[in-house]
Amino acid sequence: MTTDTLSPTASPSRHLRVGSDGMRFSTAETIKHVVLILGALIVLMPFYVMVSYSLKSPAEIMSTSLAFLGDQTPFLDQFCVKSGRPEADCMRSAIEYNYLTAFTEAPLLRYLLNGVIVTASIFLIQIVVALPCAYALAKLRFWGREFIFAMVLFCLLIPVHAIALPLYIMLAEVGLTNSYAALVIPWTISVFGIFLMRQFFMTVPDDLIDAARMDGMSEFLIVWKVMLPTAVPALLAFGIFSVVAHWNDYFWPRNVITGDRDLFTPPLGLREFRAGVDGNDFGPMMATATVIVTPLIVAFLIAQRRFIEGITLSGMK
Amino acid sequence: MSAGSASLGVRTQAHWWFVAPALILMLVILIVPILVAFGLSLTDYALGNRTANFVGLENYEDIFTRSTYERMFKASFLYVVLTVPASVGLGLGAALLINSVSRFGDLYKTIYFLPVMAALLAMAIAWEFALNPSVGVVNIFLEMGCGSWLESWSWYANGCATSFPLWLGDRDYAIWTLSFIGIWQGFGFTMVLYLAGLTGIPRELYQAAEMDGAISGWERFRLVTWPMLGPTTVFVVTISMIRSFQVFDTVEALTRGGPSKSTYVMLYAIYEKAIQQNLMGIGAAITVVFLGFVLILTLIQRYLVERRVHYT
Repeated sequence: MTTDTLSPTASPSRHLRVGSDGMRFSTAETIKHVVLILGALIVLMPFYVMVSYSLKSPAEIMSTSLAFLGDQTPFLDQFCVKSGRPEADCMRSAIEYNYLTAFTEAPLLRYLLNGVIVTASIFLIQIVVALPCAYALAKLRFWGREFIFAMVLFCLLIPVHAIALPLYIMLAEVGLTNSYAALVIPWTISVFGIFLMRQFFMTVPDDLIDAARMDGMSEFLIVWKVMLPTAVPALLAFGIFSVVAHWNDYFWPRNVITGDRDLFTPPLGLREFRAGVDGNDFGPMMATATVIVTPLIVAFLIAQRRFIEGITLSGMK
Repeated sequence: MSAGSASLGVRTQAHWWFVAPALILMLVILIVPILVAFGLSLTDYALGNRTANFVGLENYEDIFTRSTYERMFKASFLYVVLTVPASVGLGLGAALLINSVSRFGDLYKTIYFLPVMAALLAMAIAWEFALNPSVGVVNIFLEMGCGSWLESWSWYANGCATSFPLWLGDRDYAIWTLSFIGIWQGFGFTMVLYLAGLTGIPRELYQAAEMDGAISGWERFRLVTWPMLGPTTVFVVTISMIRSFQVFDTVEALTRGGPSKSTYVMLYAIYEKAIQQNLMGIGAAITVVFLGFVLILTLIQRYLVERRVHYT
């Protein structure tokens, strides 16, 4: 809105997007697009580098060519030869080499599976813990309710990454580091989730709950059969928020998982790959990076609005 | 709250079953660790030792006197000071531009938001390649500009004559480079928050401003848009600060705090001292200082948000 001084069609009844004058050539509009396209190129550049390297042979990576796709001439895969297969079976194009190596040299599938297990467990436990609490805080009246809500508000101030060290020490003292539990436990309580659901439940009419009680439903059933279905849109946004944060998280797994490859989450797997690379491995490493980044990017492109809603959720409190 | 639910709330004990798990987890996972950090920061505790000695404020004294930690604060603050204004400014700029173009706005929005979704560690490694001094795209591009008008910029001419910076390997550039990656990753987030803020501005305000003689775009921005975005800005600035205080992934993967501790940010310092060197006392003390910063920032934000004038 504010930059449209430059636009020749400024009139008192402007809309945020004036559909009609998009068709006409306008210098201001062109300048804006030039700026936005330059920005987009810089934003996309590392993605280009990542995907492009995952498609090139080691030699092409070391040359300074900027082409997106290597020429894919088959070359001899040294890993394959070392594993004792005849050379004839080991001729690979760059794409085959990079992605095959990514999946065979390190247990990438295992890492991805771990990522799914960890993010899914975190989200499910967060819901199981937060939903009943949010319901009680919003719809039940009991002694201590105000205090508990105040505690939720206070805990909103604490970023879990900031208290990672004492959490790590506590887990280490009870012998829980290097386990799935260590990856999941710190995130089982989402005060933000409680706060969000509580605000949401406040808007649900009491009549709905009273009607359920008349039908003889227990409070427990009311939470899962009445409140849960009404909260689906909010839960979806929260789920995206949660899954994106924990799929991409590197700091916490890096702290609590040391050595045991079977527990690596995708970012840890990538880090391990990077630590051991030599010149031949850059392609497979970028293939690994691409594989790790792709699921969320694809999901985002499919359901953009929901994702933006979910990620910016913390902006609405 | 209806009478029915109130009486039911008293009659059944369901609420305790509902609240107890959350309450216990809040205590154990969020409150107790703060106390643990406080406690341990006064000791020389190390994992594996059965006992620890009380050392008073010695750890804090170290933090505020030793040059390593001076560099740590410097790196953290520099990172925040470089990253926050740029990502807020670029986010606002992008939001205003996207809002004012008639076509392709959604496409730009999607592209600018991609880095927010992508695992930062993976993208950090991609950046490392792009910034590689010999085969990286960035320096190749810069070299292409040699011999052109760009050389009238002395920094550029110098780069052409000798070589362009090593970026992550150069202690004068490393923190700038990391900040750049931080801005690259974060401005899409501020952009969508600003876009949401912009849709909340009533159209009539612009008409009113115009009738009052605010003809130029800049005037309208100064009189309407900027004040109306006040609450968004307060939020965006504080959340960006808290996020950039917590930078870790790029530092750990790309520079490990170096060269010469020029990128030795707080979260990495905690990781290095405590997890890698098992100096839990000093790590806990840095944690306490770190928590202090974050709490102050959040409280300032809450204060500003509550004090704000409602225009709508």
